[in-house]
Amino acid sequence: MNDNTAVMAAYGLKKAYGGCMALDGVNMQVRRGDIYGLVGRNGAGKTTLMRLATGQSDPTGGEMELFGAAGREMRPKRSRTGAMIEIPSFSPFLTARENLEYYRLQRGIPGRHVVDEVLEQVDLAGTGKKKFKSFSLGMKQRLGLALALMNHPDFLILDEPINGLDPEGVAEFRQILRSLNREMETTILISSHILSELSNVATRYGFMEQGKILEEISAEALHDKCRTCLRLEVDDASRAAAVLQTELGTDRFEVLPGNVVQLYDCLDDPKRASYALAQNGVALLAMEQKGADLEAYFLDLIGGGHHA
Amino acid sequence: MLNYIRAEIYKVLHRPYTYIALGVMLALEALYASMFAFHNAHSMATPFGGAIITIVEMGVIGFCTCLLTGDIVFAGQYKNSTLKNEVSFGLSRARIYLGKFIAQTLLSIVYLVVMMAFFLGLCAVCLPMESESAAFYATSKALTIVGYFLSVGLPLWIGAQAALCMCLFLVNGEMASSFLYVGIVFVLETFIDLAGLLIQGPVGNALLKAVPYFPVQMLNGAKSVVGDVSYLGRAWLVGAFWVIVCTAVGLYGFNRKEIK
Repeated sequence: MNDNTAVMAAYGLKKAYGGCMALDGVNMQVRRGDIYGLVGRNGAGKTTLMRLATGQSDPTGGEMELFGAAGREMRPKRSRTGAMIEIPSFSPFLTARENLEYYRLQRGIPGRHVVDEVLEQVDLAGTGKKKFKSFSLGMKQRLGLALALMNHPDFLILDEPINGLDPEGVAEFRQILRSLNREMETTILISSHILSELSNVATRYGFMEQGKILEEISAEALHDKCRTCLRLEVDDASRAAAVLQTELGTDRFEVLPGNVVQLYDCLDDPKRASYALAQNGVALLAMEQKGADLEAYFLDLIGGGHHA
Repeated sequence: MLNYIRAEIYKVLHRPYTYIALGVMLALEALYASMFAFHNAHSMATPFGGAIITIVEMGVIGFCTCLLTGDIVFAGQYKNSTLKNEVSFGLSRARIYLGKFIAQTLLSIVYLVVMMAFFLGLCAVCLPMESESAAFYATSKALTIVGYFLSVGLPLWIGAQAALCMCLFLVNGEMASSFLYVGIVFVLETFIDLAGLLIQGPVGNALLKAVPYFPVQMLNGAKSVVGDVSYLGRAWLVGAFWVIVCTAVGLYGFNRKEIK
């Protein structure tokens, strides 16, 4: 399903509010079939990027493409998208069904059953005559998702969609996203502060900081980068590599700059590695077991110290 | 566009405010008609005609009703941040703007028809109908005057509706946009009149000449020229001018507005 066709792309995209650059030359690609996790701390520019994609504001520089269309041609393509940006907003005096029926009529989506189906899908079918103004945050999030799904979009843009959901709701939401991606081939751009949850669904990541994309990486590549290893700091990395190959019979290691070797073997018996190196005259200056999750990777990338 | 208008009508019909506002207006009419009946039923030769002719003194209510119908349709879209749902689906801003304006205008016309029918019906029930031929003639004349007044008023009220629509889209917050509307429709003419008196020469003259073309002035002027077809034509032209100018300004501003 995943191919190289870009559903959404940004080239040097800029957005300034007064003197503040909310986006400062963003380059990114969301490819067809991706579940693209957008990771960044508050104010990094995630929501601004999504607002530009949904036409809520215009860029001050650079270019954005949606389904291959740019500029004014993007607007009609937005009917193929579903979006939930920031807090879901609906008419407070209408019920969930009335709100969705209003948007169904407005968007010309045929069939009243669509509303019931999508309410069922997000578990809001039983809200009856309860008005939107009386909804909990979780219910509002579900209704926002229902609206985003109502037109069976090819591309879903979700900004912090699991805020306010209970654990059961989060699990259901994850299931919905996966089934949309697998069965309906829906491409998804999602941002979340709950990085552990994002790592459960995302197939690709974009890390944002100060209005820039620092890195785009696939989930597999990130998994490789984050996998547990022994980090060996030695006096001669090339000799150490030869020793690991000949004495331990492994090639599952990486030689990094600064005479550092990352070894993905011997994790349950690190003494074997240290003994083999010492026996062959390689000085082992430091050794530590290292592994990272998405959060640690992100913090490492932005220089640490702040939470996403 | 039809889908958009259908959706707006659906929302308006499901909004309690629509019925509450209309109910309040009808209750005020009922109060007015009953007070008129109480005071004048036996003192006037033509009580029914005398009651309905007072409609021409209530033209300003049409401009105030625009505030209600505009608010009902716009439904706090900035306050509730619901415009983002429409824009993010790719609906053009022109469609959103014109769809709301048309829905507001339709609702205003429905309000006008219901309020007029209710008032005429109430007067017919509460006040004795004239039977003598002279009195009947007077009632017919009153109906003609009211008909002419409404024909002049309709385009001007629609022009005012366009001004309100512009204010609602350009200014965040219904209260602020209502104040701006009142300023444009009711107060601006006074300032222009004053400026015309203070500024000498052709500019002052042009300003003074512009004052009668403000909707409230134009509607008040209709009372003294009943039956004048050219005045009626001018009223429709003035209404169309207000619709075109306000819609152009409103659309221009809305197209450049950040949706939050």
